[in-house]
Amino acid sequence: MSPFRNQIEIAWCPGCGNFNLLTDLSEALSELGLKPSQVVLVSGIGQAAKAPHYIQANVFNGLHGRSIPVAFGIQAVNPELTVIAESGDGCMYGEGGNHLIHAIRRNPNITVIVHDNQVYGLTKGQASPTSETDFVSKTQPLGTVSESFHPIALAISQDVSFVARGFTGDKEGLKSIFKQAIQWKGFSLVDVLQPCVTFNRINTFGWYRDRVYPLPEEYDPEDQVSAFKKSLEWGDKIPLGVIYRHVKSVFSDRIFEKLGRKDFLNPTSNYQTVFEDEKPGFE
Amino acid sequence: MKKILMKGNDAVAEAAIQAGCDLYFGYPITPQTEISEYLSLRMPEEGKVFFQAESEIASIYMVYGAAAAGKRVMTSSSGPGISLKQEGISYLASAELPAVIVNMSRGGPGLGNIQPSQSDYFQAVKGGGHGDYKVIVLGPSTVQELVDLTYLAFYLADKYRNPVIILGDGMLGQMMEPVVFNKPDFPPLPAKDWAITGKDGRERQYILCFDLDPRGLEQFNNKIFKKYQKIEQEEIRYEVFGEDKPEMLLVGYGTVARILKSVVREAKDLGIRLALLRPITLYPFPSAIIQKLAQQAGRVFDVEMNMGQMVEDVKLAVNGAVPVHFYGRSGGMIPSVEDTLKRIRDILGK
Ligand SMILES: Cc1ncc(C[n+]2csc(CCOP(=O)(O)OP(=O)(O)O)c2C)c(N)n1
Ligand code: SF4
Ligand SMILES: [Mg+2]
Repeated sequence: MSPFRNQIEIAWCPGCGNFNLLTDLSEALSELGLKPSQVVLVSGIGQAAKAPHYIQANVFNGLHGRSIPVAFGIQAVNPELTVIAESGDGCMYGEGGNHLIHAIRRNPNITVIVHDNQVYGLTKGQASPTSETDFVSKTQPLGTVSESFHPIALAISQDVSFVARGFTGDKEGLKSIFKQAIQWKGFSLVDVLQPCVTFNRINTFGWYRDRVYPLPEEYDPEDQVSAFKKSLEWGDKIPLGVIYRHVKSVFSDRIFEKLGRKDFLNPTSNYQTVFEDEKPGFE
Repeated sequence: MKKILMKGNDAVAEAAIQAGCDLYFGYPITPQTEISEYLSLRMPEEGKVFFQAESEIASIYMVYGAAAAGKRVMTSSSGPGISLKQEGISYLASAELPAVIVNMSRGGPGLGNIQPSQSDYFQAVKGGGHGDYKVIVLGPSTVQELVDLTYLAFYLADKYRNPVIILGDGMLGQMMEPVVFNKPDFPPLPAKDWAITGKDGRERQYILCFDLDPRGLEQFNNKIFKKYQKIEQEEIRYEVFGEDKPEMLLVGYGTVARILKSVVREAKDLGIRLALLRPITLYPFPSAIIQKLAQQAGRVFDVEMNMGQMVEDVKLAVNGAVPVHFYGRSGGMIPSVEDTLKRIRDILGK
């Protein structure tokens, strides 16, 4: 078992896609040679957001919708850390949707993992932003009216640094995506198709399995326009893999360059020079 | 009218429909999601609007818009979600727009838990959002009262053009009790001639929530505080329960008041005379009656499901005239009859 798995009792329904995701993420972390002490997982709230608690690393229990700004804050102070924000589609795309947009714009070196089950699991089955139109639930008895949200298309339209789609039924593919996303220098978004066996009877394991396919070798993830087109593919066929990536300068590098220092934690000689003229009495 | 057995959350929802609620905007959070579930079925049946927004912030501003358009509108949530709505509630108060907000409180602070709590008392009665304003706050203690106060909430919101909060808790929302739906005959309300309706042939409507001129803003604040003064004179509601000539006055609202009624009864069997003052309106607060009864009883015992919030208002009412004792359980814990009675006996030396 991966050293990143702990013994905390898991509170997910039997058969939930989250189990595979948890295993694949823990294995990806250990295969990358990371130590638990170097990793911070920031949770939102939801079934998905329980995952960080089951992983043996530093955990910051965020709140519903806000895991991205919390992760941003942690990483801004200590850019050496591997910071991962992890939550569900409701949390990341609904309650916290605005934060996602602005994180893409700033490009902090964090990874955002979204367990996308196209439903609100923890609160017992209401439609989420990624639920299909006409999805029937306890609070949408006539079916949802809104069209569903397309996170990957949104991210590419904003020239995100890295975005991929995985599926909890594709172990090797998902692990490889996790590894690439975590190693990526810059903002990386991973949308994971994660069947909720209890509240989503439409987008089941079989529904996904019949539609997903890996992006072919010759696919070029560096062309924004063709990647955008690819990101619109949803329905009969759903592509898996790294859909778009673009090497860009990251937030912490840009800000420290402006300040002339390496981090916020250790006062450097540069820090002294900023105040040199004023000779402040730090003693 | 027939009595039916209903869950508190369903009962508030049904009462809202009967009170003429035209639109409801929600977002799921335990322990009140049943309000949304119930309304998602019943509102369309009545040809009315139910909508689940992408967040509590979106839902309170949907309320803001619908209220400005002159419709009866409601939203509901619990603790964390109510915190997110506070900005909108301040704007509703500032724009003098009627709306009903239900808080089925849970344990806090932070995410806390989903157990019942009264720890949102300060947030509800002291403002919650920014600026000088007040919200009418109603504290039901039974499922029947949830129903009755929902009718009242819509009426008071329209009467005073002000947001009204129904401050329940997870226990009231989840418990089942028999209820009857008897819509009261309230006096007629003035027409909403301020509403944004898109009508032709009159001056444009202009609903504002700011005044950059400090003199103007002060005048506005004076005006709404005159309104609050009127609310304090006319809308105070409370219940007195128990013995006359008590040795101690108990004060508690909502779920706690149910426990305190048992305490009063059990104490009577032990030869201890107690009376309970149960505020029904938490703002406006029944200060005068508390002061009067406190002086007659000689001491006050305030019990809450929090670390001590309403007790500050009780102390202000009593103004040092007699001792005020407090007992609170928090984090979703509920004070028991035995523990409460033991504390009372210790204080009285009986
Ligand atoms: C401010 C706030 N609003 C609402 C909630 C209730 N809540 C908890 S989890 C959740 C949504 C869960 O859906 P999702 O993010 O898709 O995660 P899943 O459970 O499906 O994994 C909601 C609405 C909350 N905890 N805080
Ligand atoms: S409710 Fe759905 S997402 Fe949550 S644990 Fe159960 S199957 Fe998984
Ligand atoms: Mg979900």
